[in-house]
Amino acid sequence: MTRRFAATPYLFLAPALVLLAIFVAYPMVAVVWYSFTDYDIVRPPVFVGLDNYQQLLGDEVFRLALTHSFLYLIVTPILIVLAISLAIVVNRSMRGIHVFRALYFVPAVSGSIAIGLSWRWLFERNGFINSSLQAMGLIDTPIQWLGNPSLVLPIAMLLTIWAGVGYYSVIFLAGLQNIPEELYDAARIDGCSDLQKHRHVSLPGLRPQITFVAVISSLAALKVFDEIYVLTNRTGGILDSGTTIVFYLWKQAFQLSHAGYASAIAIVLLAITLVFSVVNVRLLERGQAEP
Amino acid sequence: MSRTTASVAEPVVVPERAGRIQRGIRRGLQNAGWYTVLVALAVITVFPFAWMLLTSLKGPLDPITSVPPQFLPSEVTFANYERVLAALPIPRFFLNSVIASTVTSLLNVLVSAMAAYPLAKMRFRGRTAIFYALLATLIVPAQLTYIPSFVLAVNVFQYYDTLPSVIFPGLVSAFNIFLLRQAFKAVPNDLIDAARVDGAGEWRIWWQVLLPIVRPSLAAVAIFTFVVSWNDFLWPSLMLHDRDGMTLPVGLAALQGFFSADFRSIAAGVTLTVLPILLFFIAAQRWFVRGLAGAVKG
Repeated sequence: MTRRFAATPYLFLAPALVLLAIFVAYPMVAVVWYSFTDYDIVRPPVFVGLDNYQQLLGDEVFRLALTHSFLYLIVTPILIVLAISLAIVVNRSMRGIHVFRALYFVPAVSGSIAIGLSWRWLFERNGFINSSLQAMGLIDTPIQWLGNPSLVLPIAMLLTIWAGVGYYSVIFLAGLQNIPEELYDAARIDGCSDLQKHRHVSLPGLRPQITFVAVISSLAALKVFDEIYVLTNRTGGILDSGTTIVFYLWKQAFQLSHAGYASAIAIVLLAITLVFSVVNVRLLERGQAEP
Repeated sequence: MSRTTASVAEPVVVPERAGRIQRGIRRGLQNAGWYTVLVALAVITVFPFAWMLLTSLKGPLDPITSVPPQFLPSEVTFANYERVLAALPIPRFFLNSVIASTVTSLLNVLVSAMAAYPLAKMRFRGRTAIFYALLATLIVPAQLTYIPSFVLAVNVFQYYDTLPSVIFPGLVSAFNIFLLRQAFKAVPNDLIDAARVDGAGEWRIWWQVLLPIVRPSLAAVAIFTFVVSWNDFLWPSLMLHDRDGMTLPVGLAALQGFFSADFRSIAAGVTLTVLPILLFFIAAQRWFVRGLAGAVKG
């Protein structure tokens, strides 16, 4: 019995482990090495010590990118509140409710490039938003939505929120449906209003889901790229107003051929993600005390 | 609850019925209120797509930037679609996406299901270490790996600018391994022991006993991986440059460059690319919900 077990588990694991070694473990080691080199992907890397990191410290655009990525985390609490609200709204048996649930999920499957382009079209100088505002007499001249440095990031965040609410609400809906009906009955008997019922029963019941969505959506926010790429037409926005960490990494590595420098950016991204993950795991453990 | 007994007596029926009508009206109003909310939310969700569709159907004589905005085209035209299809091989993009996403999701499920079995049901040396190593890969942002992976694609695997370059890195996902491990754990050990007593080897147990039982989980994971792969953009955009070799998102980004300010054509292109995945979603909708819901149970 024990002898038959000897090789089998490793054989089952082998394909996954080999693939992970090639596409995750090796790149991780390599990117650490590249971050200490001057490298343009074409010629072999040349060791330069801490030069890249030193340069990062004085890089204004990098500081801007960091700030933008952290600002982007605002989407997480907004997404959680809106997704829970939407889940509560669609958690009732009404005719056609399934159609509505499906509709709200549509942005999540449509792809970031397609929805990014459709939003660009709405926010164009002559786009729908400006035409409507002008028709209503709210503005006289079109607003440069995407040409305005202070508006690029908020519009991208709005897009992320719009696309994510339906997606995350599915998770919360599943959580709501697992909460025993008796808890709501008990709350009703205790004289809770509808709103109080959700505060005292729904929210505690959704804790595992809230933690999960907080982890997933905040990590996604830290790594936002597609929205910025499309909305700024791959420029990162005027005066780098929409540049995030990953966008800057991409620009340095694949537009400017500064792969060594970009690797140092990647290491900073990893460090931030690690800190985040440790915090998140702590939260997860607390949230899942009961198995 | 049961009023049937009370309704036998004549005088009780009238107020009873009035009360029921009143309750009915109240529920009707409440429903109307909820439907208003649901429809408003649906409009917010669907409008950007609808505006794209309407724009794509307008000819050169219909204004697309007028104040106030004109919603419906005065005459529906497919000229924009013809122009987009003539300029870019969108059917090829579609075919490439189908191939890349199908292969990725099927093989990914296979590899993940294989790795999940020993982690769920076997005891062996190094199990805990492997488990935590897998967990650690979840933390590594994919973007971190792109520079070395790019070098590998060009120098070692030499699949730069071909579909395998977007397939291979997607063949494994620790996340899927964990999901399927959860599913396997729920299968009773007695079932596996019984098969073992009958003389089945581990591979047969995996293939003939476990996989059929967890089929719903396999389907959910496969469909999820399919959509993620279908919409993946950054890595494919680094790899695929030949016009006939692009996947849909990469082709769409190229379309943006190609038609820069011609929003009628861009709108037609976006509509063409969103439609197939929407149809797929409608067909596979319940699996999405199951996959997402299952992800959190932990």
